[in-house]
Amino acid sequence: MKRFFKILPAVVLVSFLALSFSTPVDKINYKCLIQLKNYTGEGAYVVISLMNPEGDYEETLYVQGKDAEWYSEISEWWKFYGKRRPDIDAISGATISGGERSINVIQIPEDKIDKGYKIRFETAVEDQEYYAKDLEFDLTQANLKGKKEGTGFIRYVRLIRQ
Amino acid sequence: MILSFWRYCHLILAFVSALFLIVASVTGAILACEPITNNTQAYQIVDIEDVTLATTITQLKEEYEEVISLEVTAYHDVIASVITYDGNSEDIYINPQTGRKLGVVQQRDPIYVWTTNLHRSLFLKSIGRFFVGFVSLLLCLVAVSGLFLLAQRQGGFLKLYRRIKEKDFNQRYHIILGRWLLIPIIVIAATGVFLSLITFDIVPISKTEHDWSKEPSQQVSTGDISDIPFFQGLNLSEIRNLSFPFSEDELDYYEINLKDRDVLVHQYSGEVISEIEHPFNFILSQWSYNLHTGTGSILWSVILFISSCSLLFFIFSGITIYLKRKRNTKQHLVLDDKDASEIVILVGSEGGSTFAFAKALAKQISKQGKSVYLGSLNQYTSYQKATQLLILTATYGDGDAPTNARHFIKKLAIINQPNHIQYAVVGFGSRDYEHYCRFAEVVDQALKQQDQYSPLLGLEKINEHSQDAINNWLHNYSQASGIELKKELAVKKSHDYMQFKVVERSPLNLDDTFILKLKIHKKQRVQSGDILQILAPNVDKPRAYSIACNDNEILLSVKLHRKGICSSYLSKLAAGDCITGYVEKNPNFHISKDGAPVVYISNGTGIAPFLGMINHNGSRVASKDQYLFWGGKFMESFELYKSFIEKGKRHLHICQVATSRELSKTYVQDELWKQKELLSTVLNQNGTIMICGSIAMRDDVLKTLEQVMALECQKDLALYEQNGQILTDCY
Repeated sequence: MKRFFKILPAVVLVSFLALSFSTPVDKINYKCLIQLKNYTGEGAYVVISLMNPEGDYEETLYVQGKDAEWYSEISEWWKFYGKRRPDIDAISGATISGGERSINVIQIPEDKIDKGYKIRFETAVEDQEYYAKDLEFDLTQANLKGKKEGTGFIRYVRLIRQ
Repeated sequence: MILSFWRYCHLILAFVSALFLIVASVTGAILACEPITNNTQAYQIVDIEDVTLATTITQLKEEYEEVISLEVTAYHDVIASVITYDGNSEDIYINPQTGRKLGVVQQRDPIYVWTTNLHRSLFLKSIGRFFVGFVSLLLCLVAVSGLFLLAQRQGGFLKLYRRIKEKDFNQRYHIILGRWLLIPIIVIAATGVFLSLITFDIVPISKTEHDWSKEPSQQVSTGDISDIPFFQGLNLSEIRNLSFPFSEDELDYYEINLKDRDVLVHQYSGEVISEIEHPFNFILSQWSYNLHTGTGSILWSVILFISSCSLLFFIFSGITIYLKRKRNTKQHLVLDDKDASEIVILVGSEGGSTFAFAKALAKQISKQGKSVYLGSLNQYTSYQKATQLLILTATYGDGDAPTNARHFIKKLAIINQPNHIQYAVVGFGSRDYEHYCRFAEVVDQALKQQDQYSPLLGLEKINEHSQDAINNWLHNYSQASGIELKKELAVKKSHDYMQFKVVERSPLNLDDTFILKLKIHKKQRVQSGDILQILAPNVDKPRAYSIACNDNEILLSVKLHRKGICSSYLSKLAAGDCITGYVEKNPNFHISKDGAPVVYISNGTGIAPFLGMINHNGSRVASKDQYLFWGGKFMESFELYKSFIEKGKRHLHICQVATSRELSKTYVQDELWKQKELLSTVLNQNGTIMICGSIAMRDDVLKTLEQVMALECQKDLALYEQNGQILTDCY
């Protein structure tokens, strides 16, 4: 019994840690508008990823483009996603073509905001260029509103909190 | 020629595309099921024509925290992308009148996703897309060439849907399905090509972009959306897609894709900020997409499904037809039309090896892609496209023309050729004869005198079918004509010699003629009119005898020639002896099976085959109308044969014997002349005249027959000859 009390703090600590890990992280819905430039050709694949402070992929937030055979063309992201290929049906939508815009809802983990994380927009069009960093910006409260200009197929992206 | 052109196109294109087409049609058939099955989940509970956009927008805004977009499908389902009050983002089917959720939009079945990829790109990305597009184009051409081929066969485009004569299942339904499914197949293929062209940006769809920065000109009214006339005036059936304004900012507009144009609409005033008409290519691509996928029409989807399945049948039946045709080509040479052929081969010979050689030659030339016509010398006529005339001919008797070459020289002088023709003559014969290849020489000379002809090669004489001489000629011909030919054309079949046992040999009569009866070899199928090649001891070459077949015995009539090795050998045989030889089929001198009247004309030993034909023989039905004419030296000469015709006598109406050495000197042709009416009647009743004996007799008889037919019914004997009613076996 004595022995039990000796390890009690450790048990409490472990339980607490375990509980804190299993607590679902609050995710906030953001409306995300992607406006593409007016290029010709097939619809653009757009992958929105959460990047950790080390610059590695943390989580896939949204994939625009359902034709999985082209995913490997988005090579940087593919290195991350292609290994395990989790189900992304819920966070994927149809491609849009040049000049078009799409509005989607993405979920951003609240605890990652203002913590050195980044949001990356990767774009690729079949048989055309691939932009690993079409658009990338720090995940800060300030950046999560307003308009960000893209460098590749993306003309601009707008985010708005739900 | 035109027929074969379209058939060739149809075949080649189909072959090239067959493998891809199988993949495309199987996947196409699966994909055609998607609209059919999808549509059964009916969410169309209200008529969208009755619902205004204002109603739907108002209801949606009430029902959900946020609405992102609205889509009206080709089947009039209304789909909204919303965020619920629980904060969930959902794509749902809604009731456009109330905004209520009817169901969740399901992910596309992975089978269809997989199949679509295979159908579009064979999992080969751009290369695959290119192939599929290219095969679509080929399918277009296959369909069009098939249409032309069919039109040719049916005798014109207007007769396309006429009754088909084809009995063969594959061929029949290839045509029947082909002409009914032609239009959907062309639509599928053409839209497939068009969609590919769009994919590869060969047909650009340059859609103009909205100018989002344009500011409204009107005063902002903050009225309710249901008051805005623009939204009031639009019903849902006019809409394809609608994106709600991104934010409440007044510079964020509604983006609406209507059937014919895209508009930006101010969210508070309803002012149309920007309006873009769909470009023509875009409308065309929408049509192509819908026609190709069946989107929006269950009936059309069913037709697409049937067409896809039918493509599999077309491929299967097409291959079957092709294989069948090929097999037939192997057996019978398919010859081109006389007026379509560049190379004309004419043969002068009574069948057998010369014809075999001609066929082998024609086949070789045809394999080299040249059009070849093969016929007998008697069929000589004008040839519209001929550049070469090859004549292969034997010589009969005293340098005479073979029966099927008798009219050639005469026709050559009369008929004008439209083109200049190069010729080459090959004579087949034996040096044993005095007039070795005489007729070939005559033909060669006659051609030389014609202005329209110039020699390609000099006259070549081939002794005893010498393979060396033939190869030599083939080599020369290849060089002169530039047509590569394989050497070693099978000219002579190797024969299996066998032993025949002598049953009886009659004593020699006053003409030194006798009859030999041989036992028929078991399993050997012999027919009267066939030829027995007999090999005398210490002789290389067999001698040919026309034979009759009577009661399982072979019957031949032999005249003893003083110097004849074979005939003297045969004259010394006794019952029980064995001779070596083989039976050569002679189908050109078999009695017809239809029981039509027959006239047998012969002289000397030429009567031999008739001795069998006259009698009922095995299962073969002998004609009930038979007439025999025989010419010999003395009345007594006929005694030798009399016993053999006893059995068939019931049906033998005339047995006319002409004797040349008796007091009343007559020849066979004289007797024939007396029976003019009979002869013309027989020929006009589709009967046959069979002639066997010497060449001299044959020529006299044919001359007489020509006169008879001219006199009796003003007809050319050649007509009957071409009809196969005059059969000869003379030597």
